[in-house]
Amino acid sequence: MDKGWYFRFSLMVFVTVFGWLVLWPSLDAWLPVPAPVRKYFTGRISPGLDIRGGLRLTYDVEVDEAVSDRRNLRSDQITRELGERLGVVAKGSTPTRDELAKVHARVQRKNDGERRIRVQFTSAADASKLDRDLVTRYGDLREVSRSETEVVLEVKTDFLEQIRDTAVQQARETIENRVDGLGMREASVTAQNTDIIVEVPGADQATFDRIREIISKTAKLEFEIVDDEASVLDGLTDLPKGVTRHSEFASAGVSKPQVSSSYLLARGKDARKTLLDYVDKLKAEHRIPEDHELLIGDAERASDEDVQLKTEPAFRTYYLFARAEVTGQAIEDAFVANDSQQGGKPYVAINFNSEGADLFKELTGRNVKRRMAIVLDDVVASAPVIQTEIGGGHCQVTLGGFRPYNEILNEARDLVVVLKAGALPVPIRPSNEQMIGPSLGKDGVAQGVKGFAVSFLIVLGFMAVYYEVGGMIADVMVILHLMFLLATLAFFDGTLSLPGVVAVALNMGMAVDANVLINERIREELRGGKSPRVAVEQGFARAFSSIFDSQITTLVAGVVLFQYGTGPIKAFAVTLIFGICTSLFTGVFCSRIAFDLIVRGLRVQRLRVG
Amino acid sequence: MEFFKPGVTYDFFRYRWPFIFTSLGLTTLSLLSLFWPGPRFGIDFKGGTEVELQCQGAVSSSDLRDAVLSLGFGHPDVIAVQGVKDRYILRLEQISSLPAAQVAKARAALGTTMGAANVLDFAPSPGGDKLSIHLAVPASADQIRSALVGAGLNVRDVSQFGNSEDTRFEAHLVGIGDKLVKGLRDKLGDRAPERPLRVEWVGPKAGAQLRDAAVNAVLYTIAFVMVYIAFRFDLRFAPGGVVALLHDALITLGVYVVLQREVTLGTIAAVLTVIGFSISDTIVVYDRIRENMARMRDASLAHVINVSTSQTLGRTVITSGMALISVLGFFIWGTTLIRDITFALCVGFLVGTYSSIYVAAPLTEWIDRRFFRRA
Repeated sequence: MDKGWYFRFSLMVFVTVFGWLVLWPSLDAWLPVPAPVRKYFTGRISPGLDIRGGLRLTYDVEVDEAVSDRRNLRSDQITRELGERLGVVAKGSTPTRDELAKVHARVQRKNDGERRIRVQFTSAADASKLDRDLVTRYGDLREVSRSETEVVLEVKTDFLEQIRDTAVQQARETIENRVDGLGMREASVTAQNTDIIVEVPGADQATFDRIREIISKTAKLEFEIVDDEASVLDGLTDLPKGVTRHSEFASAGVSKPQVSSSYLLARGKDARKTLLDYVDKLKAEHRIPEDHELLIGDAERASDEDVQLKTEPAFRTYYLFARAEVTGQAIEDAFVANDSQQGGKPYVAINFNSEGADLFKELTGRNVKRRMAIVLDDVVASAPVIQTEIGGGHCQVTLGGFRPYNEILNEARDLVVVLKAGALPVPIRPSNEQMIGPSLGKDGVAQGVKGFAVSFLIVLGFMAVYYEVGGMIADVMVILHLMFLLATLAFFDGTLSLPGVVAVALNMGMAVDANVLINERIREELRGGKSPRVAVEQGFARAFSSIFDSQITTLVAGVVLFQYGTGPIKAFAVTLIFGICTSLFTGVFCSRIAFDLIVRGLRVQRLRVG
Repeated sequence: MEFFKPGVTYDFFRYRWPFIFTSLGLTTLSLLSLFWPGPRFGIDFKGGTEVELQCQGAVSSSDLRDAVLSLGFGHPDVIAVQGVKDRYILRLEQISSLPAAQVAKARAALGTTMGAANVLDFAPSPGGDKLSIHLAVPASADQIRSALVGAGLNVRDVSQFGNSEDTRFEAHLVGIGDKLVKGLRDKLGDRAPERPLRVEWVGPKAGAQLRDAAVNAVLYTIAFVMVYIAFRFDLRFAPGGVVALLHDALITLGVYVVLQREVTLGTIAAVLTVIGFSISDTIVVYDRIRENMARMRDASLAHVINVSTSQTLGRTVITSGMALISVLGFFIWGTTLIRDITFALCVGFLVGTYSSIYVAAPLTEWIDRRFFRRA
């Protein structure tokens, strides 16, 4: 044997051993894996929902929230229009803060339940401006009652169902996108009345935790302006234990670079809860004006000189104008980046779409030298001072700082997934969790395995009888191919579900075909009177173009399916692509090594290929 | 061992016309069958009813599946709930049907009791086993119940929904879940569940989005495969390969539709597999034709095709046979769902093998004669 053969042979042995090691952890249940292997080879094939079952999570969509969102939207639109009709706001322009304040002095809005608004006017003349034309303009509003200075409006009943359904569908799509973003293609997300059901294959608690985490994030990203001129917090006399009042100098617009602004602070282990409870209490007692919001955030990033907070967690409040000026819907793309100035701390960079970029530019332009809070799920992530109007549509979100690098990095990654998938239109609440068995049924899986085993043995037996030595080589190659294919799946933490199994079956067929083509060609060459050695050489050379072209065409199909398909189609395509690579490797490369050993190493006079 | 004598050339080409007409006929029928009777989409695509049951005795998932099947509910997904003995989630294709006329009648009946203007909302759930009712005036559950029963509805219970000043009600109708439990009691006796724990309509796992994605993916696949064949072989070969591929996918789907087997996500995988098989089978025959065209310059293309097809016949039969055997085991031992998929695969493999010989090759020959020889 020449050097080249030994080289090829060692490569094959190496790949085989490596493939086995990758695959082994997936077979742990039948063949216990030694600890060192387990340590270095962490990839596993996880059987899909239809084959092994998994975790079933049920979430309630709080659809009433969708109704009140619609109500709030209409309420804002009507106020703005009234502002124009009252001559306070210039037609067609975005009202400034001062203009809105003037409108609110003459028109008060009170929410009533989730679908009603009471619009109260200071004068009857103003009330007449809210006429039928304005009420019917939006189609989904109706007037319930009207008195001298009060008009009650509500969202029409006919629209409630539609608003709720849309909310459920959007929530379902968002969750599906998030789950897809995690690379869990085999999870299923379905809607059921006002519930959303997520089924995750497998039994890995860490994965389940991650899924729960990522689904429950509302991912509502808002940019709100900090109101540093208000004195609401100064009047509070019932601060609970652990909450203290501080003041800081902040910039509140170009003309007021140094105003003193108060905030509440809590430190220590339960700081977050203490502060949040107090803020909720203030809200419940209507001590925060309706057009403002008191939110909490991490205190580490506060530009605060007299409090050193490096060691223990601390939280503080921000007093904000309550309208979200730019929301997460304006996001085009988000990605994790590293801040080289802060020792490589990961942050999330956001690019807005063109509409978002315009809104952001307008917001920052209108509030130069004020603080802008970046609010994620009602928690202030940071509140930098706007130095100048920000065009270009970029923005950064930095993440909490008391934790190790990897934790922040993971949070940043998850945040990117949820930001890209979009915010949930309304909050959802977990309502039930069950571990479920395979959807094919235990019996179905057992019978499927039996069917596969029997077919596989028949194919192997037939090949050995029909092609004799060549057939036995083919059998070894087909087994190797199956192992490599499964190992590749394990390496990429793939999920194997019924469509995947069908793809594996197709691949087995193609692996058999490669060997059949080679054996048939070698037979032809032998019949033509060639020596075994020459026959093998020419047989491989001739068969190669068929094998190559047929597999590459299928590969083209696989890549296209992967590119344009979704969910199960993608999973099918992935298995197909892996399978073509491994069947080319085993069918052409490895089987040549075996044939060479026989015709060149053993120098047989007669090659038995049937 | 050998099935075909080497060196014999069979005259495939002479008998092409009957086959071409058969193919044309089958493809047309398959296309028509997509419109009438149309595919029977399973739960994956159109949703269905989900019923959770607690059996009162030991029932295995296969017992339960058999019982449900024999009750004529189509193939259910039978999912065991882990950690609770003999508790199952069943997914059925059927939904309780509530004709629109009956809904209107019930609404009118409620209107006569309550005053027609006071019935603000009266909506059946998509599963047809629940009515959401919203009234403008307070009412008792019994009043609503008797109005609905009077209209001929089979009501299980009526309950107030939401907070008490909100006059919303939910009327649960006797639907598929109750029918199922009743049937199971006959089949399973004491072990049968007492009543359904919950009955709900489930939306499709894969809606129109996936179906469109599948169709798009296949169309793009066809385009790219065509380009690849034109590039690797010759322009004349490309249409034949693609037509053969379409022919196989269509006939597989057609047979599936005509037999009214349930179309699931697995069916999509099966059709994709048939496409993969069809391409690779056609290419192997093409490869031989290309090789022989170079060797036999004077022979007609028809003769070259005969020789090439005959030479590859052994391989064709072995490969297709092996492919068939490898799915046959699933067909014999699999449960209904797996059996449907392997059935599609068997049809596809047979058609895929045949189409390389009688669709791809003749079309290539015709294109060659019509567009290339004259020049």
